[in-house]
This record gives sequence, structure tokens and C-alpha cells, in this order.
Amino acid sequence: MKKEMVSLVGVSKSFDGRKIINNVSFDIVQGETFVIMGCSGSGKSTLLRLMTGILKPDEGRVFIKGKDITTVGPEELDEVRKSFGMLFQYSALLDSLTVNENVALPLKEHTKLDENIVRIIVKMKLSLMGLREFQNHYPAQISGGMRKRVGLARAIALDPDIVFYDEPTSGLDPVVGGVINRLIMDLSKKLFITSVVVTHDMSSVFRIADRAAMIHKGSVVEIGTPQQIKTSDNPYLRQFINGSPNGPIDFFREDLGIFEELSL
Amino acid sequence: MVFYIKRTIREFSQGIKGIIGLFLNILYWIFLGPLKKRFIRAESVFYQMRFAGLRSIVLVFFVAIFTGIVLAMQSAYQLEKMGAVIYVASLVAVSLCRELSPVLTALVVAGRVGSSIAAQLGTMKVTEQIEALETMAINPVRFLAVPRFLALFFMLPCLTILSDLSGILGGFLVGTRSLRINPYLYMQTTFKYLQLKDIYTGVAKSFVFAIIIALVACYEGLNTTRGAEGVGRATTRSVVISFILILFADCFLTAIFYFSKI
Repeated sequence: MKKEMVSLVGVSKSFDGRKIINNVSFDIVQGETFVIMGCSGSGKSTLLRLMTGILKPDEGRVFIKGKDITTVGPEELDEVRKSFGMLFQYSALLDSLTVNENVALPLKEHTKLDENIVRIIVKMKLSLMGLREFQNHYPAQISGGMRKRVGLARAIALDPDIVFYDEPTSGLDPVVGGVINRLIMDLSKKLFITSVVVTHDMSSVFRIADRAAMIHKGSVVEIGTPQQIKTSDNPYLRQFINGSPNGPIDFFREDLGIFEELSL
Repeated sequence: MVFYIKRTIREFSQGIKGIIGLFLNILYWIFLGPLKKRFIRAESVFYQMRFAGLRSIVLVFFVAIFTGIVLAMQSAYQLEKMGAVIYVASLVAVSLCRELSPVLTALVVAGRVGSSIAAQLGTMKVTEQIEALETMAINPVRFLAVPRFLALFFMLPCLTILSDLSGILGGFLVGTRSLRINPYLYMQTTFKYLQLKDIYTGVAKSFVFAIIIALVACYEGLNTTRGAEGVGRATTRSVVISFILILFADCFLTAIFYFSKI
């Protein structure tokens, strides 16, 4: 039986009295690529922040490699964080550092490796992403796709067991998006890294997912393999996959009260 | 109106709490961090020292030399009536070292360096760079705020001393060129009335001002929200709050030095 790397148990989170995440529970096992999909504002990025310990849930527990990160202190949380990497939606590279320095940062901060060894590791990680020749560039000097790949190189600098991806293909052209998807698959299959991907890009879901969960208004409405997702008759899922404006996911419903407000 | 006052009081108390919290956090990383093998990167501190200190030299020099010139001319205008023009030398030196240099240098640095720190950290906050540091298990206060705090803490007093010297030079130029005071006599009068305590009270003030600038700028930067507009707001708030706190602290410290006869 595969080890559970990430587990959510009855997790809820509210902001200003509004429930953004509502009693979410699932397990992600070792080596699995788990995709969390949903419309904008469905709560999937909040879920990712809860899994990385940036946010604390109001209720429920979040386990990373068996450790409950909702109850640990800052030092223990940092230890847990060293075992995972994260690729941010807009890469979040430190713009005052070069590509090289960005990737070397976790190594310099958390290891006692010799400068030369760090340089070699950074070169290897950048080669894996096809970016060796850009190592002395600053983030502002490279394209969005390249920045994502640098972000990925930085996320795997410490050889993590888990990598979290926040919208890895958003804002990229289909080809570069495909490159990122292939890199995610390579990391998962070749290095046996557990991947947790938050996206609304359906082509990515069917290409990379071992399992996927659909989130709507902070709740999991469906969870299954890509095949199960494709054939599911869940109306939320069907509408999301088809990209239809009509269905149970209705963005305008919440605004219907405006007519009463305006006394029309 | 009541709502506005309540909100202002709430924001003010939150800000004070936040700044004190940040200060304690910075002290923790400076003094206790190394015991836990979490060191501050010396290269970051030197980089910030270069930015906050070396690159402010020209601006501080010009502000101080012109202040010295103006102060010499304005005091000569009064002292001439009493036939005591020679005392321009001591008046310029003492008022610069005790008061004007520390305050003007701090205001200049709050405008140049404090605003830059707030804008830089604010941009990092809204572009998820701070969040990225946290997920990499790198404490943003240790990594970003501490080097800036240390750089300002050590460089502002140096800039204040430079300002003292530049201001005295300005006064010297007016005294010897326009007022026709013998250069030797000018310097002799300067050092006759300028005491060591005049210099170190000014330098002591600059340490406090450095703490104010660094804390306000880092706090505003690290708590930036709402994108580009938020960055602009944080930058402005950083300068305005620093200015007010510097002038308040100056008044308070001057009173302490005055009443304790230092």
C-alpha cells in the first residue's frame, strides 16, 4: 500500500464570515499526480495555501507526510516545508536575484553544501528544464514560460517528495503549456515525486492526472481518475468540462439580488 | 465620523502592535537566530549598506552643506547686529551636530531609502515572492528585514557624522569667504564651543531614527495588500509615518538630553 503524502480531513476555511473551503477531505498517495480543478473563485488556490501551511484552517486537519501541519510550531512547519516545493502561478521568482541565484537559494539556505556543489546542482536542475544558458539572466529578462521553468527548477532544488503547482499552465501558449505538463509528468514518473496541481486547464487534467478532484464553492463535488471524470454525469463536472455557461455553476445567480437592491 | 475615528484608532493600535512585533522578531533573528544556526547573510547586509549608506552620501552631503551655508548666513544676519559674527562658527557647529544633522539626514534617508524598502518589499508581497520564501522555509523577516535593519542601523550614524562635517564645511565657506573671518580663528571657535557630547547626542539620536525608518518601511512593505495601488500607499505611508515619528522622537530625545543636562 502506498504511503499517504498529503491528507486533508474535514478542512474548512472562512474569510470575513464567508466560507471559502467547506469540509474538504481527501488523501494523495506517494508518486501520484493529483489535480484539483475548478472555476475561478472556487477555492482551489486557498486549498493549496492550506496544504502548504500559508493559511491555517478554521476546522479540520492537514497532514503532510503524516505530520499535522495545523498544530506544529513555526520551526517544525519549516522542517515539513523543506520536504516540498511549490511552483507559483506567476512563478514568484525573487526579481533581485539571477536565475542561478534563485535556484541556488533553497540549497544555500538549508544545506551546508560547498559552493561548487551548489553550482553543479543548480546547473543540473536548470539543464533538466532546458535553461542552462539563461542562468545569469534576471527574471525580468526571460519569458513567462521560462520563468515558470525556473520556478520549477527552484521548487525541485532540494529534491522534494512533493511539489505543489498553482496554475502551472495559465497564461502560457499551448506549446509551452505542453512543455510544463511534460516536465510535471517527468518529475512524477522518473523521480517519483508526488504532484498536487491546481488548474482549470482541462487538457492538463486529462494529460497529467492520475486522479482529479472538482471543487465548487469550496466543496469537493467529484473525485476520480481522468476516465471516471470524462464519463461522469455529475452536472457540475459536465458543465465545467464542456465550458458551458448554463448549468448548476452559475456566476450570475449570486448577483440576482441587485434588482431588489435597485428596487427594479 | 465616529466610525472614521474608531477605524483610525484601530488601525493605529494595529500598526503599533505590528511594528513592536516586527522589532522583537528582528531582535530574535539578530541575537537568538545564530544560536539556532540560522545566520544572517553578510552579503545581503553589505549590499543593503552600500545602497542605504554609500549611495546616500552625495545627497546627504549636499543637504548638509547647503544647510550649513544657510545657517551661517542667517545667524550672521542676527549676530552682526551685536558685533558677534565670530560666534557663527560655534552656532553652526553646535546646532548642526546636536539637532539639524541627525534630523535632516534621517528625513533624507527616510525619503530615499525607507520609501525604496517599502516599495521593494511591497512589490515582493503582492507578487507572491514573500509567500514563496515562506514555502521555501525561509523566514522573510530574517531574509529581508534584518539586513535592511542592520544596514540602516550602522549607516545612518555614519551619514550623520558626514552631515556634521559637511555642514561645518558649509558654515566655514560662508564664514571665511563672505564674513571675512580668519580660517584658523573660525576653526578654533568651532572646536572651542563644540563638545564631544554635542556630537554623540546627535549620533545617539540617529541610531533611534534608523530603527524608526527600518521598522516603519519594513512593516509597511511586508503588510502591503491590493496590488500596485497598495504598493504606492505603503510607500507613501512609510515616508509620512517615518517623518512624524522621527520628529516626535527628536522632540522626546532632545527633552531627555536637555533635562538630564547631557
